[in-house]
Amino acid sequence: MNIAPRYLGRGSWLARRDPRVLVLVVVLFIIAAIQVWDGRIMAALLLLALLYYRTAGIRFADVRRNWIAALTLLTIVVVVNTILTGNRLEGVVVHPFFTLPIIGTVVSAESLTYAASQWMRYVAMVAVGFPVAFCVAPADFGVTFARLGIPEKFAVGVDLTFRFLPSLSVDYQQTIDAQRIRGHDPTAKRGGPIARLRGIAPLLTPLTVNAIAGAEDTIDAMDLRAFGTGRRTWLRHLALDRTDWLILLGFAALALTLTIAGFTTSISSIWTPPFLIDLAGR
Amino acid sequence: MSTMTMSRSNLWEVTSRTIVYAAIGAALYGVLSLFSFLLPGTTNVSIRPAFSLVAFFGYAFGPIVGLFVGFVGNSIGDQLNGYGFLTYWNWSLANGFVGFVAGLAPLYLASMMDGPISRRALGGAIAGVVGSVIGFLFVFSDIWVGGSSFDSLLTTGYVPVVIADVITVAILVPILVYAWEPVKEQLGR
Repeated sequence: MNIAPRYLGRGSWLARRDPRVLVLVVVLFIIAAIQVWDGRIMAALLLLALLYYRTAGIRFADVRRNWIAALTLLTIVVVVNTILTGNRLEGVVVHPFFTLPIIGTVVSAESLTYAASQWMRYVAMVAVGFPVAFCVAPADFGVTFARLGIPEKFAVGVDLTFRFLPSLSVDYQQTIDAQRIRGHDPTAKRGGPIARLRGIAPLLTPLTVNAIAGAEDTIDAMDLRAFGTGRRTWLRHLALDRTDWLILLGFAALALTLTIAGFTTSISSIWTPPFLIDLAGR
Repeated sequence: MSTMTMSRSNLWEVTSRTIVYAAIGAALYGVLSLFSFLLPGTTNVSIRPAFSLVAFFGYAFGPIVGLFVGFVGNSIGDQLNGYGFLTYWNWSLANGFVGFVAGLAPLYLASMMDGPISRRALGGAIAGVVGSVIGFLFVFSDIWVGGSSFDSLLTTGYVPVVIADVITVAILVPILVYAWEPVKEQLGR
């Protein structure tokens, strides 16, 4: 069993960027997107996010399951949110289509527009977030966070986490095999939730305790190298080139512009397409 | 740093041991996060056995380790599942806060952490439950991040997650404490 982050965007235009760019773009894009409820602006942001995603060079066949899972989850969230809050669009005159039986929620042109904007917001955030999963080399996460100003010990922890993944995934598979040889399958899909949780204890417990006990060598090695006593250097050197700066400045400008517009214009309010209002009026 | 008998003063100490335990906990959480199952009769309440590690590492090794295991472990799980390290950053942070609150157990469960192993195991379960109830309050940040309503977050986010995770920590954290305590003494921790 090979549990490791998939570096699917290797060699793509986005993967050649400084990894800090990919992380900062997510932050800046989220700041920009949460200001917006006008569907027209949100559609433009979604288009920008998809264009950005396209530069990651990730084959759709490799991430089909990820997209299906993400879209299913966020669609459920948006539908439930609309069903529960369709009645509560404050300060908005609604043009109702119909009322849901039992719940009594009014489905209106405005609640559908709100749902569409919310759905686009989530999809855009996922599109901008996926490249962090697939276009940053796993070994670069530690230095990326360190160079972003995160405390060095935390960054070393992130780096160590990625380094522990392969060996722990081997231990995970070996423990499952060992339990199966003894006649117990920790991953068996039978019994109620409590029985299944208790059934996984023979996997979880030795895996966890062995990992902690086995960590002594790593701790000793770090102590012997005087970990934490001075400023740490990193083997990988990160440098922002002109393209990186342009991308960062572009997304920073977007976040700033939409933040100002959020206070001065109506982009933070719902914009309902006239055809939906007409449709509701019939 | 000793475990489960840590004093208030060394709760915030960050040593090589803190970092390594945190990294191991996060990696374990990431690896085991691939394994989950639905609570029967529900459509979106997923039981994640790996979540017990957040509460256990917080309880056993302190709030810094708990915060790291929850935040980075959940992010790594998302990364391995292909959703991106930071796409659901606020949910990862909520996981981190669970570990953080469980790690503060010496401040609110001091009497249970020095007693016999059965009391310490029970303390672990209580710390995990308290951590889950408090830590996951941060998912309400989705009101600003995603524009979700309080009602929908309560019914489809907070309550299902807390129910599933309370069941998980109540069963698995005591088992982990029972398994770890003798090993800890052997290692001289």
